[in-house]
Amino acid sequence: MEKKEMKFEDKMKELETIISDLENGNSSLEESIEKYTRAMKLASECDQELKQVEEQVSKMVLEDGSLKDFHIEETTN
Amino acid sequence: MSDRKYLSVGALTRYLKMKFDTDENLRLVFLKGEISNFKSHSSGHLYFSIKDETSKINAIMFSKNASKLTFQPADGMKILVTGRISIYEASGNYQIYVDEMLEDGVGNLYIAFEKLKTQLSKEGLFDPRHKKTIPKIPERIGIITAPTGAAIKDIISTIRRRFPIAETILFPSLVQGENAASDIVKNIKRAENYNLDLLIVGRGGGSIEDLWPFNEESVARAIFACPIPIISAVGHEIDYTISDFVADLRAPTPTGAAELAVPNILDLTKHMTQLKIRLHESIHKTIHLQKLYLDSLKNSFVIKNPIMIYENKSQKLDTLIERLTQSMIRTLEHKRFDLDHIMKHYIFLHPEELYAKQMIDLKTKIEKLELVNPMSVLKRGFAIPYQKNHIIKSIYDVQKEEEMKLKLYDGEINLKVITIKGE
Repeated sequence: MEKKEMKFEDKMKELETIISDLENGNSSLEESIEKYTRAMKLASECDQELKQVEEQVSKMVLEDGSLKDFHIEETTN
Repeated sequence: MSDRKYLSVGALTRYLKMKFDTDENLRLVFLKGEISNFKSHSSGHLYFSIKDETSKINAIMFSKNASKLTFQPADGMKILVTGRISIYEASGNYQIYVDEMLEDGVGNLYIAFEKLKTQLSKEGLFDPRHKKTIPKIPERIGIITAPTGAAIKDIISTIRRRFPIAETILFPSLVQGENAASDIVKNIKRAENYNLDLLIVGRGGGSIEDLWPFNEESVARAIFACPIPIISAVGHEIDYTISDFVADLRAPTPTGAAELAVPNILDLTKHMTQLKIRLHESIHKTIHLQKLYLDSLKNSFVIKNPIMIYENKSQKLDTLIERLTQSMIRTLEHKRFDLDHIMKHYIFLHPEELYAKQMIDLKTKIEKLELVNPMSVLKRGFAIPYQKNHIIKSIYDVQKEEEMKLKLYDGEINLKVITIKGE
């Protein structure tokens, strides 16, 4: 179970906060550029995650707690 | 034949209606059967038949009573009704006027449901302040439902369609029957260990008995205690279970749960595009504003006329020097005045001065002494007559022909007295 350092939703939230800050224009030029750089990094990470088109394979928890692939097609008949 | 009395249909019907209405046994009837020809009129009145294997009776339930129904009646449904039997004169049909209607076999369940609902509500398990926030973008979603059937298929396919990047983890569970409740509880507890953002608990449609595990107290308490936000999705739109009340969010159906659980990736992508546009616009605006500010500084009068910077200073320096000079002059004058004052005061105490003064005094005194010096009188032309060292003060001090001397300032004259004449 790999753990990502930051949730997608948290990235979006931070991105939105930074953009609001920049739009309010309360920061100095240096701060603005720092924030912009951070926002660009977040945006490209979010983009990257959204573009991972390959579907996640559903998993099923077995009795012993381990995971195995689960395909809904098996259940359609 | 002429003595036969013929009744009108109306009279007969009224007579029969009176018979029905006065019959104690028909005033309060408990009846069970199955609904058929169910029609819900726009007035709110319900028209249907109740039948069993052998017979059938028409039924009407007025809107006043129908509005109290806790379920949606439908053809084929087994029901328990309470009502009275009477005749509808217009058609001459007898029918049952239904006051109350329950789903057959679930009457006891219904009472249990109401009791548990009231109790848990009192305990605060449905309280909105306990509801956890459903994440907007869950990345790992647990699903507790049966591994077969429409529910899991609907949930997974809907999540894949809307938000394919989400991981879905199924906790296969019994969802009906005696062991279902404990199995659901076990899976809710297990789910805590899988780092999930969200949990969907539910099943597809079924009879109230089928859905019953989701009305069990143990399931309700497990949902309440679960730290993961839970969306409940039990049966159809019209089915409400205790689980639905306890869950952080109720979905009308399993498909609905999936729709509530994940955002549409297209909306999200569109939102991301909007954010990027706003980000670029905002940084451009910031830079533009800073540039304008810089320009305004560069164009400021002082920067364009640097002489201004020292002109003022120069003038100020002149003023300061002027003031400094004036102040120094004034101070000097002041000091000089003080000095003079002091000098004047102390000069007389100087030994030289004292000596000079004494000398003047001495001189004056000598002059005064001079005035009384007989020799000085001689200088002015007076003379002192004397004879053998006696000053001659009277004419009787001398005799005729006697010699005498006359003392002048610069010597003596020897004289002889010739005459003496008194006054």
